[in-house]
Amino acid sequence: MLLQATFNYERQQGIGWAWALSPALERVVPDPVERRERLAEHTAYFNTQPTLASFALGAVARLEQQRAEGTVDPDTVGRVKGALGPALAAIGDRLFWFTLRPFAACLGILFALGGTALGAVVLWLTYNAVHLTLRLFGVGIGHDQGPSVLGGTLRTRLEGLVRRLGLLGCALLGVLVAALMAPGIDSSDIAFQATLVGGLLFGMLSALRSRPSPTQWALGLGALCLIAGWLR
Amino acid sequence: MNPAPLVTALLGGVAALDAAPVGQTMLFQPLVTATLLGFVWGDLATALQVGIVLQVLAASTQPVGSRTPEDYATGGVVGAGLALALAAHEPFTMARQGCALLGTLGGMIAAVGGVPLIKWQRRHNEGLARWCEQALRAGDADPLGRAQVAGVVLAFAVGVSYTALCMGLGVSLLSGPASHESIRLARAWALARPLWLGLGLAQILSAFLQRRLTRGVVFGAALLGAWLFLVIGAH
Repeated sequence: MLLQATFNYERQQGIGWAWALSPALERVVPDPVERRERLAEHTAYFNTQPTLASFALGAVARLEQQRAEGTVDPDTVGRVKGALGPALAAIGDRLFWFTLRPFAACLGILFALGGTALGAVVLWLTYNAVHLTLRLFGVGIGHDQGPSVLGGTLRTRLEGLVRRLGLLGCALLGVLVAALMAPGIDSSDIAFQATLVGGLLFGMLSALRSRPSPTQWALGLGALCLIAGWLR
Repeated sequence: MNPAPLVTALLGGVAALDAAPVGQTMLFQPLVTATLLGFVWGDLATALQVGIVLQVLAASTQPVGSRTPEDYATGGVVGAGLALALAAHEPFTMARQGCALLGTLGGMIAAVGGVPLIKWQRRHNEGLARWCEQALRAGDADPLGRAQVAGVVLAFAVGVSYTALCMGLGVSLLSGPASHESIRLARAWALARPLWLGLGLAQILSAFLQRRLTRGVVFGAALLGAWLFLVIGAH
């Protein structure tokens, strides 16, 4: 949970990673001097998607156990850590940042349009059903499967989840836009609906470029709307 | 004494923690914090209006490459908190809509302004990380635990202070316009709200579609089907 407590540009999650690994090292390395030396090694650069870091943590804990038993050389631990981080980040960023988070947000907004607190609850539960499950069981799975944790069915399952959530997200967005476009069939909504369509078209065009960011565009639009509100 | 401003500032700290240093459970998302603040201030309707717009924009903001995205954790709290603080003494719906506009704009500005603070914390943590390694090699028993506590305390303190500062500045600067220009502000809100929603939803759609025809067809079919269902249902 505290992997990113001391996140920084130089070592990124290095300190959080070493801290998370320390209980495992306490078990497998009884000598405190040697243990501190290994922890110091683990404070080096490490970065991955924080939820899926639990899989890497389990796999590296297993390797440290094997290293203490003398069946694995020290370089292997560093190599596996260096390989698992980017591999898990590649799939984790797509799953959590680009798919699950906007999906949960859209579902929450759909419920929140009804004017109740249900939207916030739905958003939180939807995201954490995946996030907390993977976080809780990830360490165990990583420990069981070791360095090949991403080589088996896990990658296929996570890729499948990304694909399905992406498709479901498109359908959900369709429903959300429809709910905004037809909140009630009365003439006073026409201006809202027309402006919403304008916003959608503008948003699709602005999405072609990564800069300015959506917030910078929104601030610009907000300033224009303030001027329009004053002049009308 | 009204405890709502204090709770708002503390929630800013909690949101700042949940955003990165602790958990990442999405408690920091604007819709969640706005709903909580709606209960605290006793005005769920205004809180949700602001929360929905900021949530759409937050969801459309992706950490692409090395770019630090806008800080919608404290931005969401400031946005909803500011709108609720301004609307607390406004009995009319139109005036509350004006407060929602000012709150949403305030939230976006706070989200943009929060980026340098996040960068500063990350740079500050670099020194902490170097100290940690040196202390471990020098034989210190638990520098990792102390570094982690320091990181968490710093993030919470920055979150609370920044939220309190933005709220204080926002309320002192915007109370006058919120009271005296409510009609113009409400007009601007009626125009800005759908534009912001459309802009944010289009950005999310673009991220979901990824230029795949199948997904576009699914979106179109869902939009048409749901729209027909709602129109027929309304009649």
